[in-house]
Amino acid sequence: MSILEVSNLRKVYSSRFGTSTVAALKNVNFTVEAGEYVAIMGESGSGKTTLLNILAALDKPTGGVVRLDGLELTKIHESAAASFRRDNLGFVFQEFNLLDTFTIQDNIFLPLVLSGVAHRDMEARLAPVARDLGIMELLKKYPYEVSGGQKQRAAVARALITNPKIILADEPTGALDSKSTDELLRLFAKVNSTGQTILMVTHSVKAASSAGRVLFIKDGEVFHQIYRGRDSDSQLYQKISDTLTLLATGGDGV
Amino acid sequence: MKLGFYPRLASDGIRKNRRMYLPYLMTTTAMVAMHYIIGYLTVGGALENVPGTAFITSLLYTGGWVVAVFSVIFLFYTNSFLIRRRKREFGLYNILGMGKWNIGRILLWESLITALISLTAGLLIGALLSKAAELMLINLINGEVNYVLRVSPAAAVVTISVYSGIFLLLLLNSLWQIRSSTAISLLRSENYGERPPRANWLVGVLGVLILGAAYYIAVTIRDPLTAVGAFFIAVVMVIVGTYMVMISGSVLFCRILQRNKRYYYNPRHFVSVSSMVYRMKRNGAGLASICILSTMVLVMISSTTSLYFGQRSALRERYPRELNLQFYMKDASYLSDENVSSLLWEVEAVNTAQGITAQNVYGYRAASVSGLLEDGEVELDSSALSGFNLSTFSSVYRFIFMPIEDFNGVAGTDYTVGPGEAVACVFRSEIDCDTISFTDDVSYRIVAKPDTFIPNPGSSMEMIPTIILAVSDLDSLGELRDMRDYNGFPILQYTWNYNYDTGADAEAQTRLYDALRDKFTSNPTLSEFFGFTGRSIECREVESQDFLSLYGGLFYVGIVLSIVFSCAAVLIIYYKQISEGYEDESRFEIMKKVGMTDREIRRSINSQLLTVFYLPLIFAAMHLIFAFPLIKKLLSLLQMINNLQLFAITTGLSLGIFALLYMLVYRATSNAYYRIVRGAR
Repeated sequence: MSILEVSNLRKVYSSRFGTSTVAALKNVNFTVEAGEYVAIMGESGSGKTTLLNILAALDKPTGGVVRLDGLELTKIHESAAASFRRDNLGFVFQEFNLLDTFTIQDNIFLPLVLSGVAHRDMEARLAPVARDLGIMELLKKYPYEVSGGQKQRAAVARALITNPKIILADEPTGALDSKSTDELLRLFAKVNSTGQTILMVTHSVKAASSAGRVLFIKDGEVFHQIYRGRDSDSQLYQKISDTLTLLATGGDGV
Repeated sequence: MKLGFYPRLASDGIRKNRRMYLPYLMTTTAMVAMHYIIGYLTVGGALENVPGTAFITSLLYTGGWVVAVFSVIFLFYTNSFLIRRRKREFGLYNILGMGKWNIGRILLWESLITALISLTAGLLIGALLSKAAELMLINLINGEVNYVLRVSPAAAVVTISVYSGIFLLLLLNSLWQIRSSTAISLLRSENYGERPPRANWLVGVLGVLILGAAYYIAVTIRDPLTAVGAFFIAVVMVIVGTYMVMISGSVLFCRILQRNKRYYYNPRHFVSVSSMVYRMKRNGAGLASICILSTMVLVMISSTTSLYFGQRSALRERYPRELNLQFYMKDASYLSDENVSSLLWEVEAVNTAQGITAQNVYGYRAASVSGLLEDGEVELDSSALSGFNLSTFSSVYRFIFMPIEDFNGVAGTDYTVGPGEAVACVFRSEIDCDTISFTDDVSYRIVAKPDTFIPNPGSSMEMIPTIILAVSDLDSLGELRDMRDYNGFPILQYTWNYNYDTGADAEAQTRLYDALRDKFTSNPTLSEFFGFTGRSIECREVESQDFLSLYGGLFYVGIVLSIVFSCAAVLIIYYKQISEGYEDESRFEIMKKVGMTDREIRRSINSQLLTVFYLPLIFAAMHLIFAFPLIKKLLSLLQMINNLQLFAITTGLSLGIFALLYMLVYRATSNAYYRIVRGAR
């Protein structure tokens, strides 16, 4: 069953008086099955961020349809978008986006508080997530007191705690050192193995090679995709590298 | 017109930061205008030809300096907001290869532009409003108005030099701040994170204790003279206490809120409480400043309004009748019935000659002395007072002895007292002893303490409390009559007081006043014959101009300073909101991504503002309520009869109007905050 359906998605940015237009997304089509772990790769300016913003209901497409679990995202009214995000999506950002005014625990609680969950239930939900992510000791600390990797794990906990339909990760390893990157990717794989759908946008080959499927975007279109099949991480890594080389040298199709 | 590079950068800087600069410019303009107006009224000589304004002129002159000094403190405060905002921009210039020297030149131009705009606009507005200010003042003191509009170059020169100096100081401060920081710290200065403050119980508790002590002092003060000293001590304590409570207490308060899970983990409070606790340190100081300014405004307005509207009754206290005569007699023998009635006949002769019949007459003989009253014992030896301190000073009383028949005649009572007994009337104080003894032989048992007020110029003018003792007759003063002070003068001062209305118009009263003075002043034969060494002849009509100008002047200065302080409070509120808005911008962006709706953001902001914003107002109201008894005592120095009702009304009204204004400011500034936070998208 596909949980996310993107068809004929278009996004055109125009200058204030409409004199010049730039098509960030020309015609994007893909679907994500429930429980899948998909990475989207592309160079800077390929339209990755625009795509993610539309998937997150942070931005409206110019044309096309996005369906999440059968619900048409483009039809959601702006005022309902925020609560939609809160209830259905989990976010992991490159720069963590933790609030410096909250302890780690309160940061993780934020979406639950906004949904009006009772405090007792929050505690109950937090315990297993924090244990899985290994951040039990950090809960009372403030973001400025912990390392980047720990911050990102806290951000993952915040994304997971609402049991979202899909986790959207935007360059989650971009601000991490290699050790933390490895840890985070292992974590993603582990989370995915419990049935959690993950969609990750990245230009790190290493990050992408932990996914089950890799989509390549170029000039606003899905250009190519690779399934992991039975490949190991390093085999997938090699395939991705090859594809990227091809993309960079301008081959038409593989 | 082609501007140079630096002037253009500077003017761009101001234009692009207009949300910060506009209120700043408005404030500097208002301060300049205010200063010019005060200058116009004082050094400009606008009041030179108005009689009775010497006091106001000096009062306003002081007020002018208060405004100037306050401008320095306050503009430094607001300027620090501006600099904080601009540092990032300057940091970027610095990294792009601009030296500190070049940044200094931009700052110099910015200062020049700011100074030019505020001085020009301020002087222009000041010149336009100065006539209105003059008319208002003259109207308040019942003077005669003229409608000649003129500009005072002297006032303009003073204002320009004072504010040029202030702008120079501000520039030097900015330069120093830029000089002492590196490019990277400039770039980052704005989002330099503070660690969340730990709740400091000690400071919080200490603050509460200090506030409590100040309140205790204010409430328990009994006599007005101590009140003067206590007032300043209490003011300092309240300021210190407010700062401590707001800075530390507010953190404590938030921590307590956070501990209440059900309150804290509520969408409406979650974000606001945590961001409040995070920046409470700075926030607390801002709140305390707003609170102190609000309190100052309220105290000034309520007390000067009360004085102003009570001025007529004060005039009547000080000058109980249209004409008030007091003769100082050499000794008690000249207070004999014969001598007094002959003197009265001489006064009546003048009245008759002027065609006036005395009405509402009251006259009395009195002997007065000052002394230290403690536990019913009076120390009359003034050398014992030499080492006085505040506490002994507060028990100095003025005693006025009156024959009981004179007292009954004036007060309309029919007390009878035997030898060694007295009826006591106490003003501006309370006594709890039943006997007052002056010497071993001269001692009075107090048989009654009526509240009757007997207006007498002495106790209206002097600050010390008065006790009128109505005794069987002045001969009972015994050995007091022979006692002399260290200068060899008798300690008792004998007076014959005669007060009456005329029923005539102002002109006739003035004529009579002149005639009385002609007759009794510098007439050695007459004073020798009747045995008076001095006399005071006062006509209410003649004195009222000076008198009313005092109250009108105080009222006026109260209004002027209130405007200045209110402007300051509003601006602090505004800057607080704006700077917090910029700080919170990124936070709300994150919260939006996590899934906070616009409505939730608005609600959370409201919750935060409501909790924080009305705190200063509530504290100011509390300060005012506790200051009430103290201020009442202070006012009694200027007005004998405690016009409690009037003061209560003016206080209540001031508080109500101020709260209303406060709410309007709250609406306006919270919108500014919301616009910034919303702009995050």
